[in-house]
Amino acid sequence: MKIHLYGLSTCPYCRMTKRYLDDHGITYDMTEVDLLDGDEKQAAIDEVKRLSNGTSFPVLVADDEVIVGFNKTKMADILGI
Amino acid sequence: MRRVFFEGTTVDDLKAYMGPFAERLGYKFNTEIEFVDEVLESELVVLERDGDVYCPCRVRVGDPKEDLKIVCPCIPFYLDEFAALRKCWCGLFIREDVEDGADLIGVIEQPEPGTQVDVPVCLVEDLQPGTARHVKVGKVDLAVVRVGEEVFALSNVCRHAFAPLDEGFVDGYALVCPWHGWRYDVRDGTTDHPNADVRTFPAMIRNGEVLVTVPLGRAR
Repeated sequence: MKIHLYGLSTCPYCRMTKRYLDDHGITYDMTEVDLLDGDEKQAAIDEVKRLSNGTSFPVLVADDEVIVGFNKTKMADILGI
Repeated sequence: MRRVFFEGTTVDDLKAYMGPFAERLGYKFNTEIEFVDEVLESELVVLERDGDVYCPCRVRVGDPKEDLKIVCPCIPFYLDEFAALRKCWCGLFIREDVEDGADLIGVIEQPEPGTQVDVPVCLVEDLQPGTARHVKVGKVDLAVVRVGEEVFALSNVCRHAFAPLDEGFVDGYALVCPWHGWRYDVRDGTTDHPNADVRTFPAMIRNGEVLVTVPLGRAR
């Protein structure tokens, strides 16, 4: 399963999500959107808007599933934890 | 309280500024103190980097008007959504009537569009009998009117020349436009002029607050 996490370097929920994934040995790619610049940042924002219908973080994409916010129940369900 | 940030601003400074501000809107800091401190520490990082206490869980989009809406506490811009969620998006602030905020931390769920929510708009003591005041819920400008011990809410925009109705005066159950004297019945929004009625919203008094019921999403 391909997992990508869109987060912000300042976001407590993003930190919680990373910790949760790390604690369960889940490998994932991550984009810290606020640390990007210019077109790269705009592209990431646009993608988050498309995925979550907003600009809330974190946004976790696991194949076709999208989880907005730190939601342990959903993550456990989708990631098979 | 005046919003003043300076070099060396602390979490306690943010609490001192934000607490009373949120309280006026019917909110308080989450009961999870460690979580509150963590969020506010993050806001200080954002303050130093970006120049204001933007929400650490949301991203600036580069449009000053839009970015203003994520300056903490952003409650005034999302009164209806937060009323439905009983918290602000990140859970830093929870509604006054929530006893334990732990369960409101984490998940960011959007309420169903069309959900009816009771939005606190002001304290009863700030709305004297026979007066009106302007409030904004979502993108809608409302005039909240008190007649005796009853309260009413209607569009604040006169259908004649778009005058702000709250600047007029209350005469019985009529709200009279300040510019040309058109009279709107605050109970149903009707006026004597054809096709010029304004929309009304249910309003009530509860626990010292004036609440207006709006359909979430459609009020924007």
